[in-house]
Amino acid sequence: MLLRASGRHDGADYDLAAIVGDGDGDGGVPEGRLLSRFAEAILGTDEAALATARRELNATLGPEALVDTAAVAALFNAIDRIADATGIPLEDDKMADSADFRATLGIDDFPSMAHR
Amino acid sequence: MTDLSYEQASVAVRDDLVAAHGRAWKRLAAPGTWLSGAERVAIMAETRNAADCGLCRRRKDALSPYTVDGAHDRLSALEDGLIEVVHRVRTDSARLKPAWFEQVTGGAVTVERYVETVGVLAQTVAIDTFARGLGLAPWPLPVAEDGAPTRRRPQGLGEGEAWVPLLAPEDATGAEADLYPAGRPAAYIRRALSLVPAELRGFFDISDTQYLPAAAIPDFATEHRAISRAQIELVAGRVSSLNGCVY
Repeated sequence: MLLRASGRHDGADYDLAAIVGDGDGDGGVPEGRLLSRFAEAILGTDEAALATARRELNATLGPEALVDTAAVAALFNAIDRIADATGIPLEDDKMADSADFRATLGIDDFPSMAHR
Repeated sequence: MTDLSYEQASVAVRDDLVAAHGRAWKRLAAPGTWLSGAERVAIMAETRNAADCGLCRRRKDALSPYTVDGAHDRLSALEDGLIEVVHRVRTDSARLKPAWFEQVTGGAVTVERYVETVGVLAQTVAIDTFARGLGLAPWPLPVAEDGAPTRRRPQGLGEGEAWVPLLAPEDATGAEADLYPAGRPAAYIRRALSLVPAELRGFFDISDTQYLPAAAIPDFATEHRAISRAQIELVAGRVSSLNGCVY
């Protein structure tokens, strides 16, 4: 949802399909595919894939970007668990604002959606 | 106390991240609100161990995790209920259900201990995943500190909005008056750990440095990090999607 909000500010129409499923494409975000690959690798178990994604991110966006990308990915890996384990609802405005792409992208079918 | 350092990293880590992680490592080793220091460090160890648990793997692979029985591969002497909480939240949180929550908190694991456990687990995950991202081994666990939990429950908690009691911003007074950022609504994720305010404060101390400080979140006009705001939100969204989290 904040990617959409960011797009509204930037005057860009980021393709939210880039965050779901196979995560193909960059969503219109600069180096989006590279960032997604790093996010996938940091959650996965393939050490070689993570090393490759880390090296490419470092070479393309630089070491400070590598640190900040790892920090964000790691933080949301934790936040997701807090949200799921405490059963917090989605705020009404976020529920309404995301209805279109949740349905289109299959997010409404996530198991955790059943309790919200 | 185990000092935490990123000197082994191949890239320079921001000083504020090093400081926040160091504070967290010290906090996690200390007696909490409902858990001893030894229990908190044991939860950190089980958080790491859950990835290698055979039962968790079989449940993760099953169409429904609730059809697979067995015993967790455990490291610690934590009570069985806490082991189940740590392993399930660490390995398959997207498929947790209200009935599971009611079951685990209906016995020896009080809701207060449950929420603190989730907070300790989440901080461990945030720091361990960051280290993994940089190609570093997880930090050695801190040495638990002696002492008694404070057993302090905030006043004014409300029931029914989530599985756990939440403290609404308008009810955050007295010792909790600083719990939420001023000047903007407190999202539910900000309130999720409010039954145990110390854990909420601890987690968002990390969040402020790994993601963004609360005041910066609605500010799309300023770039706060080395990646753009759109890039930040793409990474956040991709991680949440892979975890099956709708929040």
